Amino acid sequence: MEGAWWAVLTAIGSMLALAYYAFVAAPARLHRWRCEGLRAFARLIELRTQGRYGRSEPLAELANAVALRMGLPLHERRRLELAVYLRDIGMVAIPYGILNKPTALTPAERALLNRHAEISASIAEQIPGLWRVAPIVRLHHVVYSENPDAPLSAHILSALDDWLRVAENADVDTAASVLKQGIGARYHPMVVQAILSELRQRSLDGWRYLTRSAALWL
Amino acid sequence: MSKRKRFWFWFCCLAVVSTALLLWAGVPLVQQYQLGVFVGVVALAILAESLLIRYPLRPEYNDRGLWFSVSTPVVIAAIIIYGWQFGVWLDAVISLAAGLLTMQLKNIHVRWVFTNAVQSVPSAGAAGLVVALVQPEPLVGLQTLGVLILGLLAYMLVNTFLVSVTMAIVEEVRVRWVFGQTMLSLPRDIALMTPISFLITAALAAYGAVGLIGVLAPYLALRQALVIAARQQELYHQTIRSLGFLVQRAHPYTGGHLQRVSQWARRVAEQLGLPPERCELVYEAALLHDLGKTVLDEQILNKPARLSPEEWQEIKKHPQLGAEILCDTPFLSPIIPWIAMHHERPDGTGYPFGLKGEQIPLEARVIAVVDAFDAMIGGESPNQHRPHRRALTLGEALTELDRGAGTQFDRQVVQTFKQVVQEWQRRRAAGAKA
Repeated sequence: MEGAWWAVLTAIGSMLALAYYAFVAAPARLHRWRCEGLRAFARLIELRTQGRYGRSEPLAELANAVALRMGLPLHERRRLELAVYLRDIGMVAIPYGILNKPTALTPAERALLNRHAEISASIAEQIPGLWRVAPIVRLHHVVYSENPDAPLSAHILSALDDWLRVAENADVDTAASVLKQGIGARYHPMVVQAILSELRQRSLDGWRYLTRSAALWL
Repeated sequence: MSKRKRFWFWFCCLAVVSTALLLWAGVPLVQQYQLGVFVGVVALAILAESLLIRYPLRPEYNDRGLWFSVSTPVVIAAIIIYGWQFGVWLDAVISLAAGLLTMQLKNIHVRWVFTNAVQSVPSAGAAGLVVALVQPEPLVGLQTLGVLILGLLAYMLVNTFLVSVTMAIVEEVRVRWVFGQTMLSLPRDIALMTPISFLITAALAAYGAVGLIGVLAPYLALRQALVIAARQQELYHQTIRSLGFLVQRAHPYTGGHLQRVSQWARRVAEQLGLPPERCELVYEAALLHDLGKTVLDEQILNKPARLSPEEWQEIKKHPQLGAEILCDTPFLSPIIPWIAMHHERPDGTGYPFGLKGEQIPLEARVIAVVDAFDAMIGGESPNQHRPHRRALTLGEALTELDRGAGTQFDRQVVQTFKQVVQEWQRRRAAGAKA
């Protein structure tokens, strides 16, 4: 009967390994692959617009942290991360001349540019694994006072997108004040709260690491 | 022999073999064993067989992919416990029954249900032969594990081979490609199926049909793992295909140019003796070699007149831009250098780096030759009228390649490419006669 015990233990162990692989490791790897594949498209937009649109590396990580802070479940956070990469893909359908116009855009051109969210969403809807991301992508420039019932992920993306643009053009403090001024009007109040506290936490963490490493050297 | 005739010939051969096997096995199902065991095993196997998984192939071969299921562990367990006759019958019954059940749902033609059934019987027979050769002494012990792995291996090998031949006949591609493609996932599939099969064997030996209830949950986990693996594969192909569409959209290629270039490139790579997975990568790299052009201004790319020097400088950036687009996508990283260097020339006058001879990767040299050839014979833009460039004939284009060999093109690649073209011409002439 010794053989039987070994058999049972081996069977249980391999079952656990299989369950871990099927429900934890493999989905995580699939998500990472998805992000990596979409990063190519985001990078394409970024190169095409000289870095004005489609920036996603700093945003993906920050969006994930903010969503975690707001208590979104894992699958919502994954969708949000995919939406970060997908949001500006629609720019491929917009002429190069409009994307890179050195002077101010006319209202008609502005309207054309603003269609990119809709185009990105319809691209996402075509792809079997990504249709659930499409609502977030469609509303990624959502205005809180106009549509407070939009998904929370869309509100996060909208606020973070504007924050990143201001932070890269001016500086982080200006970007934070833009978010604060837009509370309740343009941005979701809870989302702004979460973003600001995440950023404050990060600056504190930065200091902590600095002092810690300085202490090591002393 | 036409495609249809070949398919039916192959089908009839398989059907004869399967029927002979089934007749030889007798009717062991209900006579020897309790009805409960029979019903339980068949129910589990049908469930397993009905939960189909779509394994995506390269869209070029088959848009709908390959449907497969995970009934193999049940069959192997049944072979070990009840003998090979039972296994063969089980496999025939379940693949027919489950096929007929899911036919409507998955929109599969009845011909495939029968094909699947006649393919599965010889596979089960092979597994049974292997298990009979190394019959484990205690029915359930550590040795069983080894026997299981051997049985699974035999089953999967024979089945993959038969499926590959069928695919090759129907899709008119080479057996080796399909076989190679499906072989890549074999170790993973066996690693996933062995524990389940072991568990089923133990449950059947210890508790009979009732033990099978405990197997259901792990079975769904196994299916989930395989589904995710299939999705990952699909994601890979989809990413490449979508990027390919973007390239096509950015530049006024007619639909065929990129596909033709990639097919020629793969054939040349095979002729040069590169390993199969490398050849597939060459195919993908050739499809995406102009990816950088999606970043450039359409007005420069589509300009009918001659380009100014500044615009030409802009165009010359595209190999590097293509590499930059892919630099954050690790699963495509092998093809990045090939895309970045497909405009290099062996004499060092190419761009962007001005590399010489052996410094340029072989794959990039292949893509350069094939791309130039298809552009010369007018495949790049047949609808566009170009006053300064007339489309050459096949022979003229080959002479042109010969003239550039050593300076613009790699000598060895040009030689190989000429062989490939000649072989293609010969085959086309033979096809025209028949």
